[in-house]
Amino acid sequence: MKRIISALLAAVLAFSLAACGSGSQPTANQEPATAASQAPAAAKTAAPAADPAPAAEPAQTGGLPVLSPSNPVTLTTWITSNYAAPSNDNKLTKLLKDKLGVTISYEIITPDNADQKIGVMLAGGDYPDLVGAVELNARFITGGALIPLDDYLKPDVADVLYTHVEPYWNRLSFDAGDGAKHIYVLPNYNRYYGEITGGTNYSASGFWIQKDVLADAGYPDIENMTLDKYFKLIKDYMAKYPTIEGQPTIGFEILAANGREWGLTNPPEYLAGAPNNGGVIVDSNNVAAIFADKEISKTYYQYLNQMNAEGVVDQETFTQTLDQYLAKLASGRVLGMYDQRWNFGNAYDSLHSAGKDERTYVSLLPVYDGYKPYYADREVMNINQGFGVSVSCQQPDVAVAFLNTLLSEEWQKLLSWGIEGEDYSVGADGLFTRSEAQRNNAKDLVWRASNRLEALLDILPKHQGTYSDGNAYSADDQPTEFFATLVDYDKDFLTKYNKKTWRDFLNQPPDNPVYYPAWNIALPDGSEAQMANTQLTDTSLQFLPKAILAAPSEFESIWSDYVAQIGKINIKAYEDAVNAGIQERIANWG
Amino acid sequence: MGSGAATNTRKRSFWSVVSGQRELILMSVPLLLYKVLFSYVPIGGWTMAFQNFKPAIRTWYKQQWVGFDNFVKLFTGLNGERFIRDIGNTLAQSLLTLVLGYVCSIVLALLLNEVKNIGFKRVVQNITYMPHFLSWIIVAGLVSTALSVPTSGGIINTVLMGLHIIDTPILFLANPGYFWGIVAGSHLWKELGWNTIIYMAAITAIDPALYEASDMDGANRYQKMWNITLPCIKSTIVILLIMSIGNVLEAGFEIQYFLGNGLIVEKSETIDIFVLRYGIQMGNFSLATVAGMFKTVISILLITGANFISGKLGEEKLI
Repeated sequence: MKRIISALLAAVLAFSLAACGSGSQPTANQEPATAASQAPAAAKTAAPAADPAPAAEPAQTGGLPVLSPSNPVTLTTWITSNYAAPSNDNKLTKLLKDKLGVTISYEIITPDNADQKIGVMLAGGDYPDLVGAVELNARFITGGALIPLDDYLKPDVADVLYTHVEPYWNRLSFDAGDGAKHIYVLPNYNRYYGEITGGTNYSASGFWIQKDVLADAGYPDIENMTLDKYFKLIKDYMAKYPTIEGQPTIGFEILAANGREWGLTNPPEYLAGAPNNGGVIVDSNNVAAIFADKEISKTYYQYLNQMNAEGVVDQETFTQTLDQYLAKLASGRVLGMYDQRWNFGNAYDSLHSAGKDERTYVSLLPVYDGYKPYYADREVMNINQGFGVSVSCQQPDVAVAFLNTLLSEEWQKLLSWGIEGEDYSVGADGLFTRSEAQRNNAKDLVWRASNRLEALLDILPKHQGTYSDGNAYSADDQPTEFFATLVDYDKDFLTKYNKKTWRDFLNQPPDNPVYYPAWNIALPDGSEAQMANTQLTDTSLQFLPKAILAAPSEFESIWSDYVAQIGKINIKAYEDAVNAGIQERIANWG
Repeated sequence: MGSGAATNTRKRSFWSVVSGQRELILMSVPLLLYKVLFSYVPIGGWTMAFQNFKPAIRTWYKQQWVGFDNFVKLFTGLNGERFIRDIGNTLAQSLLTLVLGYVCSIVLALLLNEVKNIGFKRVVQNITYMPHFLSWIIVAGLVSTALSVPTSGGIINTVLMGLHIIDTPILFLANPGYFWGIVAGSHLWKELGWNTIIYMAAITAIDPALYEASDMDGANRYQKMWNITLPCIKSTIVILLIMSIGNVLEAGFEIQYFLGNGLIVEKSETIDIFVLRYGIQMGNFSLATVAGMFKTVISILLITGANFISGKLGEEKLI
C-alpha cells in the first residue's frame, strides 16, 4: 500500500513538473512566432491601403480605441532618461488614470547603462509595451523589437501623431534590414510647431566656466576665446582662492565616465571649428574622417598634459563615475570643464536651488587660431530617439492612442505647464504666467517628483515651439517667464556682458548641412564599422588619460603608441559606414 | 529497499532492476528534467557561435551560418590581443583571490576554534561574515571611496598620511599595478567570515577524543592545530579547492566593472567585461557565445585536471 502511494506521489510530482516545463515552452515559442507574423501582416495591409490597419475594436473613433476610465489599461514602459520615476502620489499619474484610465508602469534606465540592457532585452525577445531609447533605438529596430507605425500614422487614424511626423517622413523612416523603410519611433525633441520662442537656454556643448571666475576677473572680454585665455582665467582664480568652502579648488574636470566618453574625445573638433559630428570631422566635400589621431587632437591633449603638470586638472578625473563627477560640480568647487549642458543639469539645478548662483556655469567657446567657433548648431530633430511600440505589446492600438492623446495640446499643456490654476494662471492677454511660489515649486526636485511626469515627458513626442494660442511649449521657453525667473545675480551677470539670454553667449549657428549630425548615423549591430568604433573609443579611453596624466616629457612616446594602436583598427570600415550614411541622407533628405 | 533486493539475485535482468527501483527512478525524474532543461538544452545555444546571429530572425536555423568566422574574430587581431590579455587578467585576479581567500579563511577558522570564550567567538564570527550580505555595487562604492584622495573621503590615504608613511595621497585606482590586489582584498573583506563557516562546521565534527589523547601526550595548542585539526579537515579543504578550480575563470564581474577605468583597463578587464562590451552591448551575441564556450571548455579541463592530480596524490576526489 505504502509503496503504491509513494509511487503515485512521485508520478504526480514528475508529471506536474513536466507539465510546467512543457506548459511554459509553447508560450516561449509562440511569442516570437506572433511577433514575426505581426510585422509582415502590418506591412501587407499597408499595400492595399483601403483597409484601416488596426484590427477593428469596439468603440473606435478615427480608427483608434477611445481611452476612458471605464476601460482601464496598464501600459508598461521602458525609458532611457536621466529623470527619476514619479513618486506614488503624483497628481498627473492620477489625472491619467481618472481621465484616460491609463496606468503607466515604469522601467527607467540612465543612458550610460542603456546599451547593455538593450543587448539583454534583444537576446530575450520580450519587451514592455512602449520602448523609449535615446540614440540607440536603431538597435531595437534592427533587432526586430518595434512594430512599424506607418499604418497608424494617417490623418484618419492617429491624427495628432500624423501631423507630428508628416513633414519629416523621409528623415524618420528607417530600414530595419528588410529593404523597406518605415517609421518605428516618434521623435522626442526638436520637432517645432509655430514660432520657436525657446533659445533662452542652451543645452549643448561648451567649455563651461564658473560665473564667479569671470566676475572675479572683472568680466573680461570673452570673444575670440582660446585655450590659453580660458585656462589663464582658471589658473588666476585658483591662485587667488585655493579653497572654496574649505575644500581645495578644482581647476578643470575631464569627464570620461562610462557612456560619457565624448567628454574626453569630442573637444578637439570644436577647437578646430567643426560642429558635433561625433568621432568624425566632415569636410566641405561631405567626406568624413576621424580626428582622434590627428594634429588637432594632439594639440589639445598635450595642452591638458601641461595643465595637469601645473595642477589644474583634477587628479581623480579619470577614476570617478558620473555620479561622483556631478557631486563634485554640485559642491561648487569645480571651476571649469568641457561638457554638454543637459549632462550636468542636475548639478546646475542643485547649485541654483542652494542659492549658489555664482557657482553655476556659463559656456565659453575656445578655438585654435584661425578657426571660428561652431559649438552651437541649429537644433536638429532627434531621429531614432523617443517612443516606439514593441512587438510584445498586446494592444498596439491602445498604445498608439495613448501617445496620440498625450500629444494633443490639452495634454501637452498639462504635462509641460501643469494644471491651470494650480501651477500657472492665464493672464488677461491669454499668456500663461506663474506666481513666485509656482516658480519656486518648479525648481524643487521633490515637488517635481509628485507633480510632474518628467521621465515620461522626456521621451514622449512634444509640441515644442508654440501652442495655437501663442503660448510657448513650456515655462522655460516662455520669454516672459525666463526673465521673470532670473535671479538677481544672473540678471546682473547678463547685464555686465550686455547679453539678454544664455544663448547669447554662443556663436550664431549657420544652417545645418543636410546630413547633420553624423553622430547619429546608426552603425549596424555586429558590423565591422561598429566594432572599429568601439575599439577606437576603447583605445582613446586607455591611452588619452595616461597621456594627460603623464609627465610632460613622456607625452610624445605615449602619443605615438596611441597613434600606432589606432593604426591597427579597421578605421576605414568605420569611415566608410559614416560616409555611406552621409551620402544616403544627402540623397533622401535634400 | 531497492538495493537490498538487487543483492539477493545478482543476475536479474535490467527491467527487473528498473521495476524494483521504480519509486526511486520516478523520484529522480523531476531532477533529471530540471538538469536537462536548464543545463543541457541551453547548450543548443552554442550553435549561435557558428552563425551571424541576428535577434530579429526568430527561427534559429534561418540565421546566416558563418562557420568559424566568429572564432577567428575573437582570437585574432586587436580583439585577440584584448581577449588574451583579459584571460590573463581573469586568471591572475581569480588565483590571487582564491589563494588569499583560502589561506585566510582556514587560518581564521583555526584561530576561532581556539577561542574558548564563546561570546567573543560569536561576535568575531558575526562581524566577519556580515559584509557577505552587502551587494557588490555597495562594496564597490565603499572601496572606491576608501581608496580615493582624503578630500573625497579616502580613509586609506588619510590613515597612511597620518602615519607619515606617505606624503602625498596614492591614486590607487589610477595605477594599474594596484588593481589585482584591490580585487583580492575586496573579496577577502567581503567573503572571509562567510568562507570560514564551512570549515568551522568541519571542525566541530572532529572527535574530541583526539584532542584529549593529545592533551595526555602533552601537545600544545599549535601542535594540536597542526597535527589534529588541519589533517581532520583536509578532505573538506581539498574538495572545496577542486570545486573552486572549476570557477577560476569566474573572477567576478561587478567589482572590475564598477572600479575599472581607462587608466587601468590593461589590468582590470576580465573575460566577462569583454563579453559585455563586445558582445552584449554591441548586440554581437555570436562573439559572446564563442567567448562563453571557450570559458566552459577551459573550466572543464581545469576541474578534471585538478581532480586527476588530487587523485594521483592520494587525496579526495570529486568524481
